[in-house]
Amino acid sequence: MLKLTKKVLVRLVLFLGGTLFLLTGCSFPGVSGSGEDAIRIASQSSTESQIMANILAELINHELGYKTALISNLGSATVAHQAMIRGDADISATRYTGTDITGTLQLPVVKDPQKATQIVKREFKKRYNQTWFPTYGFADTYAFMVTQETAKEKNIKTISDLGKYAAEMNAGVDSSWMNRPGDGYKDFSETYGFNFQRVYPMQIGLVYDAVEAGKMQAVLGYSTDGRIKSYKLKLLKDDKRFFPPYDCSLVVNDSLLKKYPKLAPLLHRLDGKIDLKTMQSLNYQVDNDLLEPAVVAQQFLAKHQYFKGSDKND
Amino acid sequence: MTNLSTWEQFWYYLANNGSYVLSQFTRHFLISIYGVLIAAIVGIPVGILIARRRRLSAVVIGAANVIQTVPSLAMLSIVMLGLGLGVNTVIFTVFLYSLLPILKNTYTGMTSVDKTILDSGKGMGMTSFQILYMVELPLALSVIMAGIRNALVVAIGITAIGAFVGAGGLGDIIVRGTNATGGGAIILAGALPTALMAIVSDLVLGFLQRRLEPKKA
Repeated sequence: MLKLTKKVLVRLVLFLGGTLFLLTGCSFPGVSGSGEDAIRIASQSSTESQIMANILAELINHELGYKTALISNLGSATVAHQAMIRGDADISATRYTGTDITGTLQLPVVKDPQKATQIVKREFKKRYNQTWFPTYGFADTYAFMVTQETAKEKNIKTISDLGKYAAEMNAGVDSSWMNRPGDGYKDFSETYGFNFQRVYPMQIGLVYDAVEAGKMQAVLGYSTDGRIKSYKLKLLKDDKRFFPPYDCSLVVNDSLLKKYPKLAPLLHRLDGKIDLKTMQSLNYQVDNDLLEPAVVAQQFLAKHQYFKGSDKND
Repeated sequence: MTNLSTWEQFWYYLANNGSYVLSQFTRHFLISIYGVLIAAIVGIPVGILIARRRRLSAVVIGAANVIQTVPSLAMLSIVMLGLGLGVNTVIFTVFLYSLLPILKNTYTGMTSVDKTILDSGKGMGMTSFQILYMVELPLALSVIMAGIRNALVVAIGITAIGAFVGAGGLGDIIVRGTNATGGGAIILAGALPTALMAIVSDLVLGFLQRRLEPKKA
């Protein structure tokens, strides 16, 4: 009986494994992305990432008619990178120079935006056969912000200006930023030479409401967040260039560009087309106006006639 | 938008993103259906087989039971190791979870057919295929159907988790709602259609099941 059981179990495992193997290459009608034919675009769970992924998908769909599939809600740049290396995804919709230099490439922090872009371009080509496109035109950096009233009343324009009042200010910051080596709070106070009265680590999504409600006097948030626009917050200039650049670009596997030669010129249409204000307003439409990223992307491209005529070759 | 109540936001959201929700709804439904369909194609013949060879049944149903005990998020991650990100991972996970209800119900349905009816079939000179096709399956069909019904409702729930491996579907909307501040309305816009889909497909299959029930003479 025991012998039989073992044999049956082995067969069962073989059988399930076989089904699994068969399924890998299967394509199911009506469900895009189940086969190998579609261009797969990976995005992270942030609003911005999903908007950009939808813009890419809509652009490719509309202009070239290729099938696209979105792989959304990936946890981090590392997951997106792994997905591309494994061949589960062909395009990463949003990748940031600062994140990938210290994360994926394991290199020291680079503060000069141009240099950072050069490094990721070169290293991604060399190490992974991936093309790092020119930036969309916005950078999603950490930025200190205060309300317009505070800015006017105390004449604060830069982070250095903040120093005079910092001793009596409470600051809300991203909890992962607090103890981050290299560009965290410790290094921040060394560079700028001041400390806040108290620093509250909190979830990044809450800082905008906290400063708007007056619970905090200054907060550290993402520069592209839609709420900056809706709460009319004042972004403070990083005058000592403390925060590393996080210029946003798309990254594509070279194998895909080879397979579809028309793709690269099309994707270059987006080079420098989306500045910080535009991105804030796109994020605002999703976060505040309850529009889906897919809807926002479609409207944005339609408004700009799909950037026809700005095709470019490398 | 913040001045609207959650319900007002919910209707506003549906009015503005209706076609998107609908496309995700279809996608969600298809993913669930494909998984259950494959499970039915595999599970029903295996169920019939183990009903014939009772010695196998303990092992096969035991194995299907083991699969069922793995938490769905863990299962999704395990399947992802083999199939990578994307839809197929979710379809395969749905397949695994649908296997037990379909297998077990097929087995139960087949074994609960009255022995005397089988004997009278044999007495009439029916071949074993004819007995299976004309006697056993029609009598077991409503029980098998109940298994498929069970499987589909579970499948719709599992597909919602598929958003974490990038498969899309209504789970995508729910996850987006959890990331947005004040995304209560978005969560509802993903969760309510999911629940609705489960309820309606359960009702439809329940209706089918009653139609298939053998008429008592």
